[in-house]
Amino acid sequence: MVTTTPVGEGPTAPGARRVLSLPATAVRSVRKSAASTPGRLFLIGVSLVLLAVLTGAFGAIAMQQKQNTIDNLLSHREPVAAASQQIYRSLSDADATAASAFLSGGTMPTELRERYDLDIATAGANLAKASADVSGVPDAEEQVNVLSQQLPIYTGLVETARAYNRQGFPAGAAYLREASGLMRAELLPAAQRLYEIDFDRLSAEQDAASSVPWFSLALVLVLLGALLAAQRYLTRRTNRLLNVGLVVATGAVVVALIWGTVALLIESSRVSAGHDHGSEQVEVIVQARIVALKMRANETLTLVARGDGGDYEDEFRKLAEEISGNGDRNLLNQARGLAEDPETQNLIDAAQKNADDWLAAHKRVRELDDGGSYQEAVSLAISTAAKTSAATMFSQLDDNLMKALRNGRQHFAEETSAASNVMTGLAPGVAVLALVAAAGVTMGIRDRLQEYR
Amino acid sequence: MRAVRASVVFVTLLLAVSACAGGGRPVDLAKVTSVNRPTPVGAEENPPASSGATAPTPNCDPKASFRPEPSLPAAGQMPDRSTMKAIQDRGQLIAGVDQNTFLFGFRNPTTNALEGFDIDIVREIAKAIFGDPNKVQFKVVTSAGRIKALQNGDVDVVVRTMTATCERWKDINFSAIYYMAGQRLLVDRASKVTTLDQLGGQKVCAAKGSTSIKTIAANPAKLIPVQVDNWSDCLIMLQQGQVEAVSTDDTILAGMVAQDPNVKMTGPRFTEEPYGIGIPKANVDMVKFVNGVLAKVIAEDTWARSYDKWLGQTGEPRPEPPAPVYQD
Repeated sequence: MVTTTPVGEGPTAPGARRVLSLPATAVRSVRKSAASTPGRLFLIGVSLVLLAVLTGAFGAIAMQQKQNTIDNLLSHREPVAAASQQIYRSLSDADATAASAFLSGGTMPTELRERYDLDIATAGANLAKASADVSGVPDAEEQVNVLSQQLPIYTGLVETARAYNRQGFPAGAAYLREASGLMRAELLPAAQRLYEIDFDRLSAEQDAASSVPWFSLALVLVLLGALLAAQRYLTRRTNRLLNVGLVVATGAVVVALIWGTVALLIESSRVSAGHDHGSEQVEVIVQARIVALKMRANETLTLVARGDGGDYEDEFRKLAEEISGNGDRNLLNQARGLAEDPETQNLIDAAQKNADDWLAAHKRVRELDDGGSYQEAVSLAISTAAKTSAATMFSQLDDNLMKALRNGRQHFAEETSAASNVMTGLAPGVAVLALVAAAGVTMGIRDRLQEYR
Repeated sequence: MRAVRASVVFVTLLLAVSACAGGGRPVDLAKVTSVNRPTPVGAEENPPASSGATAPTPNCDPKASFRPEPSLPAAGQMPDRSTMKAIQDRGQLIAGVDQNTFLFGFRNPTTNALEGFDIDIVREIAKAIFGDPNKVQFKVVTSAGRIKALQNGDVDVVVRTMTATCERWKDINFSAIYYMAGQRLLVDRASKVTTLDQLGGQKVCAAKGSTSIKTIAANPAKLIPVQVDNWSDCLIMLQQGQVEAVSTDDTILAGMVAQDPNVKMTGPRFTEEPYGIGIPKANVDMVKFVNGVLAKVIAEDTWARSYDKWLGQTGEPRPEPPAPVYQD
């Protein structure tokens, strides 16, 4: 026994010294056995078994991870992205509703009050959903913090405004302006950012789900090559054409390779379809919806400002280009291009018509207001009873977009669950096939070794 | 045997290393030490001094306006080629007003209509032109936007608690004085402060572009002026504890006291703020016409009735209407 540790180099225990010298001992014994044919056969057998077990383990883990990624897309990533877009929608609608209620004068109409309450409750519930999943993403965590800390302050301001409005004091309008300012400066940007982060995470995970597992693939190919080489070697050495054990092992690896390849190809195309016709479509519709909500808020705030709202109107006009016209910037055109099924196409066609009608109604609102007919302008803008009012047109647009959005989500869910189903049994299958291969190698090599006894 | 001992040593080492890693501490709660309180949109602390003071302002009597014609034209029969005729042909008077100053120009949240002392004056002018006090298009302007709105011709008149000053006379014309206000101080009911000087280093609120914000910034006690877009923003900043006091015309402050009994006006009047109606520089005929309307409003006691309706709520005795001063 030779110790590699020089004498007097620290108080290393004799046991530890032996542990450290183990690799050297192993290499020496391997070299010694490789010199003889049975020794070489033994080595080949051990290496093949090890390689098969390793490949099986890595392959099974990789397949399991892929399956988990897809399931996570369905159960987590996409619902969270949907929840955060719902937060934006609810908050923005709450703000526009509060402004409409203010414009309608007197005590708040029950209908608007209920709509506002529902918006706030929806925002809260979806915020809880979205915040369950931000740990480890500091940027998202920050947005959730802003939202959860400022939302109660916002509702407090709106309630104060309401109390003053009931007393007939203009301080109510001041509180409402402050609340709306908070919404536009803090809450909505945070909600928009949170949605962007969640959508990016969704896309990144979709990419991961449809990527090729290069490492596992390489291992399988190396194993296959090694098996074939071993058989060639045996044929030359033993003059026997076939070794049953090794043939079985090779067969198992080939089956695993074909199964895995086919399953992954289908899986990846399904995930991509879920992206292109599902979540990508949803993303464009969400953007269109956000633009429409911003425009609606600007429309009502222009009237609240009563002649001092030039900035709001400018913003409205700028945003209008994104949901109307023939250009590429028109998000509704983009969504129409992505829509595959006739139902979604019809919904988006309807939404485009709603948008045009709304813009026409808005134009009339501005003409009335600029012409001095303030009350008529207000009622055209906020009345939900009138069929051609801006409020009606906007809510129809929002409705159609929401339905199209639901269709997109449905597509995503269908395609992605199909991808998940294709993967069923692949991970355990790969593990079992690897074990079969290992057993085949053991049997095949053992048969040959016995001939040397 | 050796191998067994070696592995025992190895496992012991592994355990020792992993045991050192975990300290066993509870995970921190989400710590929040302060919350950002919102302030009204456009609120600005220590604003840079306005650039308006570049040219020296000539001395003048800001209260002196143009003498009206001996008699007013009959309603609906404005003289040809006059500014009033153009307004009559248009069908409505466009007036720049406020919708946030209780008692002077505010939006009644119940009816959605604009009301107040200033609004009454606007309606009197419309009545003199059309015979109908409702032929008015109100345009809300901020304190800071008043002169610009007149210069751009966006509005025919501005009736919005506007102090006639020599500096403003350079850009626009003023009617005769229709109300005499003065700057005072508004503080929390419990506060012992009575003058601006006692508020050194503390925040005092006034509207952007008002004469009051200049008075606050010029005070030698080094106050921190906070400027906002609308007067009611000052009230809610005081309520939210974001400013120590509000200082502006007693009329505006009276409207705040009426909305919140937990604030009080304190100390004496320390400036004189004569309110005039702002009219574009070119429209001297309109100034003379409006002065005629004002003289009639005062003579026929409409002024007093409007005062009682709005400012009577504050409990202060009604003053005499200001006597008109003319330049000739």
